[in-house]
Amino acid sequence: KANTATISDWKGVFVYCEFRRGALAPVSLELLGIGRKLADTRGVRLSAVLIGHDTGETASQLIGHGADQVLRVDQPELADFSEDSYSQVLTALVKEHKPEIVLAGATAIGRSFIPAVATQLNAGLTADCTKLEIREEDGLLMQTRPAFGGNIMATIVCPAHRPQMSTVRPKVMKALEFDGARTGDIIDVTPVPAQLASRIKVLETVVCEESNVNIQESEILVSGGRGLESDKGFALIRQLAEALGGNVSASRAVVDAGWISYPHQVGQTGKTVAPKLYVACGISGAIQHVAGMQSSETIVAINRDANAPIFNVADYGLVGDLFEILPKLIRKIEEKRGA
Amino acid sequence: MKIFVCVKQVPDAKDVRLDPVTNTLAREGVESIMNPYDQHALEEAVRLKEAHGGEVIAITMGPPQAEEILRLAISCGADQGVLVSDRAFAGADTWATAYTLEQAIRHLGSADLILCGKQAIDGDTAQVGPGLALRMQIPFITCVQKVRSCSDQAIVVERMMDDGYDVVEAPLPSLLTVVKDINEPRVPSLKGKMKAKKAEIQVLTATTINADPACIGLPGSPTQVARVFPPEARGERSVLSGTLDEQLDQLVEKLTPYL
Ligand SMILES: Cc1cc2nc3c(=O)[nH]c(=O)nc-3n(C[C@H](O)[C@H](O)[C@H](O)COP(=O)(O)OP(=O)(O)OC[C@H]3O[C@@H](n4cnc5c(N)ncnc54)[C@H](O)[C@@H]3O)c2cc1C
Ligand SMILES: Cc1cc2nc3c(=O)[nH]c(=O)nc-3n(C[C@H](O)[C@H](O)[C@H](O)COP(=O)(O)OP(=O)(O)OC[C@H]3O[C@@H](n4cnc5c(N)ncnc54)[C@H](O)[C@@H]3O)c2cc1C
Repeated sequence: KANTATISDWKGVFVYCEFRRGALAPVSLELLGIGRKLADTRGVRLSAVLIGHDTGETASQLIGHGADQVLRVDQPELADFSEDSYSQVLTALVKEHKPEIVLAGATAIGRSFIPAVATQLNAGLTADCTKLEIREEDGLLMQTRPAFGGNIMATIVCPAHRPQMSTVRPKVMKALEFDGARTGDIIDVTPVPAQLASRIKVLETVVCEESNVNIQESEILVSGGRGLESDKGFALIRQLAEALGGNVSASRAVVDAGWISYPHQVGQTGKTVAPKLYVACGISGAIQHVAGMQSSETIVAINRDANAPIFNVADYGLVGDLFEILPKLIRKIEEKRGA
Repeated sequence: MKIFVCVKQVPDAKDVRLDPVTNTLAREGVESIMNPYDQHALEEAVRLKEAHGGEVIAITMGPPQAEEILRLAISCGADQGVLVSDRAFAGADTWATAYTLEQAIRHLGSADLILCGKQAIDGDTAQVGPGLALRMQIPFITCVQKVRSCSDQAIVVERMMDDGYDVVEAPLPSLLTVVKDINEPRVPSLKGKMKAKKAEIQVLTATTINADPACIGLPGSPTQVARVFPPEARGERSVLSGTLDEQLDQLVEKLTPYL
């Protein structure tokens, strides 16, 4: 177990920057935004940890977005995500540099291997945070997160262990504007072969056509529910999404019906999203659905039942028949955008 | 094949609210259920047993009444239920929970496969599975949506990613966490219910599993809940008025910043 006496040895902020198949996950830049703030408050350095292969110019991009230094681990063995190798590489870097705070995105990858890193380090880990601040009295990281499907919020601290680790929900923190004038060090790290070894093997990667987009990263989501009645009805959702320049998501009822695949499900047993605009069409607003979308900036609901609970969280509500409303709305939006 | 399934008793989410005065969970009248993801983990374990032979052991850390979900597990095909229960475990975070489950599973002998849910719908962290695997020193794969094949040596699964899925192979023993897509859990059979009623549930305490007091319960937990509070209420909702056409025009106007 970590020893209280050594806490002062831990300094600096680490941000794990997720890179997969040639692209940086946008949440990484958001983490650098909040990481910069925390590092400045603590008067310490902000390090970006970049793990993957063929990362190209990504490291300088990370500097431009706020990192003081980038620890780059670019190896062919790391081309595919593996719980084993990624957790060993990151654990070794944390042990060496002893940062007081480690942040990662609460994505499929982050939530998969970061718990293993925390366990190896005997560190606490707070899941899926939506707010991070430094407490003035003692410099502790106050980590706030929803639990019980969003019904309650909890603020968590790790007083006696280092590092303090959090996964952070995408779309909640703000990235800094890219600033090409920012300078920083890029340090290439070569892990020992044992860290690159993976007991698990990725045999194949399948990108679902429509799942190309991660709905957690979307600014605008048009979400359909059972009220669309059929696969064909659901096509209206795709049209509206296209008109708005957004992506498509759905309630569980729709995923269960097979009109769209599971990565598009919003809710307690699907994904938690917080886009700028969420349009709920023919969704009743069951608590398990609302848990996944209630932190959206603006919520529009369309439902023929004026008493549908979705209206309790909606900023704008339209009561009426979808099959009448959606085609009109699509036309009006297209006109507006065309104008 | 010896398969452990980690199951957690959770409050039925739709009933959970914070008492606005005391800021504590209003648990009165709230029903307890088996964590929904764990039902899928259990179903997958039973299917693997049916296909390859072996036994399925459902294990939970929780208060005495968590025995209910172990009986439910047996009625759905588990061979045994193990309750890891002790006052000293109270207040465990995911680190301490993973430690406790590790000690308990080691006490019960070796595992070929450990199955967990993707996450529990109360704590919502999804951290216990990976933490447990790390402690058991076995590989793990999270968010498994399908088991493609399984032999004595290895398992091939589909791991859900944010943009699709990976086909991944792991040697056994391994730990998997599963999503609901993986299967449709069965309902308990009459015979299963009878068996569950009669089954003896093994209870393990902190002493039986030889747990280090500094690693369990609240004292063993690196994270501490400093405060709980209700989520911020959303602002007033704006009313759209007039005919449908007029309402739509107002809406499109409001949406202009997003276009
Ligand atoms: C443990 C658990 C986990 C769950 N997890 C999730 C989750 O992650 N995500 C999720 O979404 N659900 C989840 N659910 C399911 C959830 O409880 C609801 O059953 C589901 O959200 C309902 O989907 P829906 O709103 O599309 O359908 P319904 O509830 O059937 O609602 C359809 C709505 O469409 C309206 N409608 C119908 N026809 C029209 C029309 N022509 N014009 C306008 N409106 C119309 C109706 O008035 C109704 O309000 C979960 C349930 C459980 C028990
Ligand atoms: C409001 C609140 C916020 C919290 N936030 C955090 C946090 O950020 N970090 C943290 O470390 N702890 C946190 N905790 C503590 C955490 O909820 C408990 O440690 C809990 O015992 C396990 O975590 P979980 O419910 O998130 O399970 P998850 O990790 O989400 O569960 C995943 C799977 O692990 C298995 N599993 C989990 N618990 C058990 C069990 N008791 N017995 C058998 N199998 C089990 C199941 O298969 C389950 O599907 C929080 C608790 C509360 C009340």
